[in-house]
Amino acid sequence: MIEAVVITFLQAVVILAVSPFLVGLIRKVKARLQCRQGPGWFQPYYDLAKLFRKEVVASTHTSWIFTAAPYIIFSSTLAAVLLVPIFLSKVPLNFAGDVITVVYLLALGTFFLILAGLDAGSSFGGMGSSREAIVAALTEPAMILSIFAVGLTAGSTNLSTIVHKTAVLQGVVTDPPPHLMALAALFIVALAETGRVPVDNPATHLELTMIHEAMILEYSGRYLALVEWASAMKLLLFLTLISNVFAPWGIATEPKPVWMTIGIAVWLFKISGLAVLIGVIESMFAKLRLFRVTDFLGLAFILSLLAIIFFYILRG
Amino acid sequence: MNLALIGMIAAPLVSALLSLVVKSRGSMERLQCIHAAVLLATMGAVITNIGGDSERVLGVLRADALSAFLDLMLAFVGATGLLYALGYMGEELDRGHISFHRYGRFFCFFNLYLFAMLLAANLDNIALMWIAIEGSTLSAALLINFERTKTALEAGWKYIILSFVGIALALFGTVLVYYASEHVLGVRIEALQWSELHRVASDLNPTTLELAFIFIVIGYGTKAGIAPMHTWLPDAHSEAPTPVSAMLSALMLNLALYAILRLKSIVDPAVGTNFTGPILLGLGLLSIAAAAIFMLIQRDYKRLFAYSSIEHIGIVLVGFGAGGPVGVFGGLFHMINHSLAKSAAFFAAGRVLLRYGHKNMEGVTGLLRQMPLVGGTMFLSALALAGMPPFGLFVSEVLIATGAYVKQPWVAYLFIGLLAVAFAALVYQVLRMVLGEPKEEGVVVAPSGGRFAAVSLAANLIALGFIGIHMPGFLRDLFIPMTRIFQAGVNIP
Amino acid sequence: MVVHPDLGSQLVNFCSALLLLTCFAILAQRRLSACVDLFALQSVFLAVTAALVAFLTGAYHIYIAALLTIVIKAVILPRILKAVIERLNVTRELVLNINIPTSLLICGALVILAFYITQPIISLGFLLTQDSLAIALAIALIGFFTMIARKKAVTQVIGFLVIENGLFLGATAAAYGMPLIVELGVFFDVLVAGLIVGIYTHRLQDTFDSVDTTKLTALKE
Repeated sequence: MIEAVVITFLQAVVILAVSPFLVGLIRKVKARLQCRQGPGWFQPYYDLAKLFRKEVVASTHTSWIFTAAPYIIFSSTLAAVLLVPIFLSKVPLNFAGDVITVVYLLALGTFFLILAGLDAGSSFGGMGSSREAIVAALTEPAMILSIFAVGLTAGSTNLSTIVHKTAVLQGVVTDPPPHLMALAALFIVALAETGRVPVDNPATHLELTMIHEAMILEYSGRYLALVEWASAMKLLLFLTLISNVFAPWGIATEPKPVWMTIGIAVWLFKISGLAVLIGVIESMFAKLRLFRVTDFLGLAFILSLLAIIFFYILRG
Repeated sequence: MNLALIGMIAAPLVSALLSLVVKSRGSMERLQCIHAAVLLATMGAVITNIGGDSERVLGVLRADALSAFLDLMLAFVGATGLLYALGYMGEELDRGHISFHRYGRFFCFFNLYLFAMLLAANLDNIALMWIAIEGSTLSAALLINFERTKTALEAGWKYIILSFVGIALALFGTVLVYYASEHVLGVRIEALQWSELHRVASDLNPTTLELAFIFIVIGYGTKAGIAPMHTWLPDAHSEAPTPVSAMLSALMLNLALYAILRLKSIVDPAVGTNFTGPILLGLGLLSIAAAAIFMLIQRDYKRLFAYSSIEHIGIVLVGFGAGGPVGVFGGLFHMINHSLAKSAAFFAAGRVLLRYGHKNMEGVTGLLRQMPLVGGTMFLSALALAGMPPFGLFVSEVLIATGAYVKQPWVAYLFIGLLAVAFAALVYQVLRMVLGEPKEEGVVVAPSGGRFAAVSLAANLIALGFIGIHMPGFLRDLFIPMTRIFQAGVNIP
Repeated sequence: MVVHPDLGSQLVNFCSALLLLTCFAILAQRRLSACVDLFALQSVFLAVTAALVAFLTGAYHIYIAALLTIVIKAVILPRILKAVIERLNVTRELVLNINIPTSLLICGALVILAFYITQPIISLGFLLTQDSLAIALAIALIGFFTMIARKKAVTQVIGFLVIENGLFLGATAAAYGMPLIVELGVFFDVLVAGLIVGIYTHRLQDTFDSVDTTKLTALKE
């Protein structure tokens, strides 16, 4: 019992500490690819600290949703990440939920973010919210199906069970064709949900091209800090899902300190690699126009659907 | 025999290379005439000295009875085709339609095409044969588009796309055959050789071979112009320069059929005849039907003859599908007669095109009066193609109908019915062109070109008539071993 | 559910699945040059698969075939195609006969069809993995479908080349590679075919001012 609490607390600390680093890493990679120095490695941390110190300025037209939303978003995202195995395959909280819980916790956060964007009554917020709704509606089934595709091999939708069973399988990848498709689908979903190019440009200044940034345009001070941190945690969640569900080897299968330390190191290495990949992809491609985004997400859905169909029709 | 075989295959290659460096028209004509003579001579040596089943030249070449039969067709019609091409392209050169440079290039590609086909017919290796057939496809693609018109380009593009897809499917079928034979013969190059495959045919896995046969029929069937994969054929054969059309119709289609038939001789012992028979029968009847229907509405005489080719390939398929010694002999006999008749028809059509400058049948009448030799040839070859006695095509069609009747009577009825439609269409269209009063004057062709054409036309017709009336000894000596190849799995009633 | 314990066959399976994924990616593209790049990537994966098969089975002539694949299909042919696209000033947008989501679903159906067709014959051994022959046929069918579903002449060529890739995979993984002389001949043929198609596309552009093949409708009946 004590052990479970300690591990959960440790996981929360790791999540909160590492997520801004990931954002900074991607920014650094993009800057270097553009032949400039870019912001420092710890700039996101400084930004968060600065924002917490600043005064909040809110429009008088907003309601309680505007003030409550950042807290809801932050806590739901943190809860979702706590359900995902990071350095230990059997997360203590796994009794509380499986992949569907994760998806819906994220959806809760997205829902309140959409409402917050609408709440201030500005047109940019409304635009961002409607776009986010489209993206979220299309990514949700793809995400669920792609995790299911791996779950079918493991025989459960519980993330911890999936990761544990795959990790213990003696270093053999089971059933590449469906899993590869599911991986591709999940990667596209990750790009969409975390607001990366080619779905949304996180560094844009033009409101007409924003999705995520438009919704949080009205936020300032600690609210903005919470929302930014939550979006960094979402990024961490997706990268962890990709690396630990499809290639979990290196993760600790028992809660021994040594193994968990190795687990943390391996995990850091994997998600840093994925973050670099995302940075490279952001530099290589241009943002898609909105009606093309639906095509792109449709691709993800079809890939994950095919992964499931493969499993059923071809493996019996 | 070895030297003759090598000589026959090497001659076109050498001639192709030399065509590029020839400087004058006269020397080109001399070169090609020598080339044609060499082809005929070596072919004669090859078909009279067929070696046993395991005699191999240079490790990969082998001329058994079926290959020799195909060599006979390829070399003879190839030689007359060369002579005709000299006349035709010479005329085009005189009129200034093409430059000497292109004239030379034409003969280079033409010779490469013959080389690829001769190579394919004599290779002992199923995969190398595929490579050679692909080579002939590529050289034909360059030839079809020779005239650089819009329609020629479209025809060429259709040909390329459909042929490449077909060839790819045939390659998959070849890989499947290799897959099956590896189990019996091991992972080595011998597993691809026809002679070895014939030997172990009954040991090969039936399911794999069934699948392979389907892919190969669809793949090489595209090249042979079997319906429903035939849509490129009327366009390509009518848009290509006429010597090329003749070669395509008379030789390429037979070569593709050869590939299918070779595989059939291996699939039958493994799977039993009831698999390949119905497939070939069905496709054959479909081809005849499609061709007959379209022949009725044609306005372009080269397209008419192209559809007639589709019909005749269908007839050969019905013969082989019906099986039995009668059907097989009928099919083989039909192949060679069709080559001779179709090339003669195209030679005549080419002369008409040179004279009138268009392919519209409306504007062509009274050929017998205006151009007696050409008109007469067209008339006789059309009668032959329609299946009139005394030409050999009549004999083969009767034999095939008989063979089909033995198998399934309704097939024979359908066969004869469709042939009647095709007969009517072809004879009607050609008679309109040949009889009556000449309408247009056209451009009279120079006599030098006319001489080549006359020789090639006469040679084909004489051969056609000769074979129909009396089967020469060397031909009979080829047929007996050939039917033996196909009997290996046939239940002789 | 069957799980192969053998690492080698798992790796070959993985590489074949990567190949299949690139096929889907080619169909999901709207830019022409992206299609060519994906084809080059696919050829690289193909060469890796071939090298794996060579390593695992000891059939060393497949190494040469793998090398040729990289040289011809990943370097030379994409260069030719890119040059054709550049010189012809072909607009970069693809013209679709069938839209992207539908074509992806049809591809999925084709993959299942391919598995179904090859089901009876995969149990004959000599296979590193059950899936490679089926994936090879699937890639060939998807290439064939690409030729039908896209209108530009260059994309049809890419479809044909994808078919050839699929066949090479089939020959290598299922039949332990064809004898070397056959592989050389096939490569030579593919190269010449690519050149001829390049010539034709030039002429198409010159004559019709576009490489949209739906304009080729003069010959009917």
